[in-house]
Amino acid sequence: MLCEFCKKNEANVHLIKVVNGQTEKLNLCISCLKDFSLIPSEDLLNDLNNLLKKVLEVDIKINDKVQNSKVFNTIKNQVNKVCSFCGLDLNTVKATGRVGCADCYNEFRNELLPLLDAIHKNHKHIGKIPERTTKSAKIEKEIRDLEHRLTQEIIIENFEEAAKLRDTIKKLRKKLAVGKKPVN
Amino acid sequence: MSFTERKRMLNQKNLIFTKGKKQIKKHSGSNRDQIVLTTRARIARNLSGYKLSGINSDAEKKEILNTVRSSFFTDKKSAGFDFYSVRKLSKIQRNFLVEKHILSPEMTFRLASKGLILKFNVENFNQSLSLLLNEEDHLRIQNVMPGLNIRKAYQEVLGIEKMLEKHLKFAYDRDFGYITSCPSNLGTAVRISVMVHIPSIIISGKIEEFIKKLNNIGCSIRGFFGENSEIVGNILQIANQASLGRYEQQIIDDMEAVCLNIIDEEKEALQAIKKNIPLIVEDSVLRSYGMLKHAKILSYYEAIELLSMLSMGIDLGLTGDDIRPFNFYDLISILGDSSIILNENMDLEPESDEIDKIRMDILRRELTADHGKNKGS
Repeated sequence: MLCEFCKKNEANVHLIKVVNGQTEKLNLCISCLKDFSLIPSEDLLNDLNNLLKKVLEVDIKINDKVQNSKVFNTIKNQVNKVCSFCGLDLNTVKATGRVGCADCYNEFRNELLPLLDAIHKNHKHIGKIPERTTKSAKIEKEIRDLEHRLTQEIIIENFEEAAKLRDTIKKLRKKLAVGKKPVN
Repeated sequence: MSFTERKRMLNQKNLIFTKGKKQIKKHSGSNRDQIVLTTRARIARNLSGYKLSGINSDAEKKEILNTVRSSFFTDKKSAGFDFYSVRKLSKIQRNFLVEKHILSPEMTFRLASKGLILKFNVENFNQSLSLLLNEEDHLRIQNVMPGLNIRKAYQEVLGIEKMLEKHLKFAYDRDFGYITSCPSNLGTAVRISVMVHIPSIIISGKIEEFIKKLNNIGCSIRGFFGENSEIVGNILQIANQASLGRYEQQIIDDMEAVCLNIIDEEKEALQAIKKNIPLIVEDSVLRSYGMLKHAKILSYYEAIELLSMLSMGIDLGLTGDDIRPFNFYDLISILGDSSIILNENMDLEPESDEIDKIRMDILRRELTADHGKNKGS
């Protein structure tokens, strides 16, 4: 195989880039590789260890960089909004990757949702909740858990159990609705 | 200054953990422990009603530090833990904690009001339960354990959180879960990361496929000291990427499955190499073997590289019986600069050659079989 850059020499180095799960091969000869100054040549010839290490290092750095910039590019804002609680602005959030306060997540909700989807493939919490919380939050959590179990029972075609769960969820929903309207 | 305060100061000066016994397990043997080197579980929490670490004032940081610290130490379960102000630790002590993967490298600058509450397992310094205060988040609870130990590591972290929850209110949102500074930690705020040693996978060229697979199932991959750090000694850190929209248990189960797969893959790759050892692998192993036998000075990273190859050489049966089988992680964990300085009671700022020489002495002592029992033979 010929080197992809000079197209003259035999390609004896094969770099692998992994970007966002997509792999890309780069076949180079040693002199072109040196031109790219990725790896000093003596390492190449002598030391398999170093070579592997450095190739991998390059890959992962590329990987990190691309992933990070890509992720924060999902924040698309026309104007630079400011959080009314802590005063941090959206462009700073974008640049630093950090929000300023708990309320930022609600203030910038629309802008941050695509970002959360890109990172977590999801934007709704289903895990544990604080011990000291409102009754309705606890019921909501219970419903969420049961719904999760319900889908699993349906997958394994355990419809009997699924029906039971569905009924329990219905009851809890009613309870929640009553709790939300204390006047009734 | 009160007596207790003075005592605490004194404790800080001598840092209980610096009395590092030079303990090293004699080849714990299990393959599993040699592939998954350590498990680390951590959760992030922020106190409700305060701005987050990026923009809060020093006064607020101080208040957060004192609040968390006092609530923690009112509980009986805090026995065995010690509080350290990161600013007051010496540079060597801070580096030691970085080497032990307790402090992140970022935790060692901008030290205002940064605190650490720490308990080491005195039998094994690679096991520690700790709380980081005023880092990227107000509070991070983390547990580092040797080997593959995800469930237990997480349970202990959860125990600490439960104990603190009696006194503190954490920032939480119904939709987003536990609030964190960085959107990538939101939700459960759980991060499980494992350090794996996979020389065979890397050398047999399967690493491309391997990284791709891990990325696809939502794992992030880093080097030896976390974000943006370089790969040393065929060691990778693998962690869950998503923390929002999943149950804690799912994250744990998935990471455990990932680990078991990695163990299988590494073993398979080793067997494949064993069947027909490529010349370049044999050469590389024997070079490492020779260096470890005859070198006089050795840097930390170089030592890790060589030991990685040597451990593989032992598995491949390429080395002689003059090398004693060793536990890879136990051994490299006493070879860091600050570990050596603290263990060997060295000058606090020795010449780097001096450390490199002592490192080689330690290695020779740990690796040489029989310690001269065979005199005369």
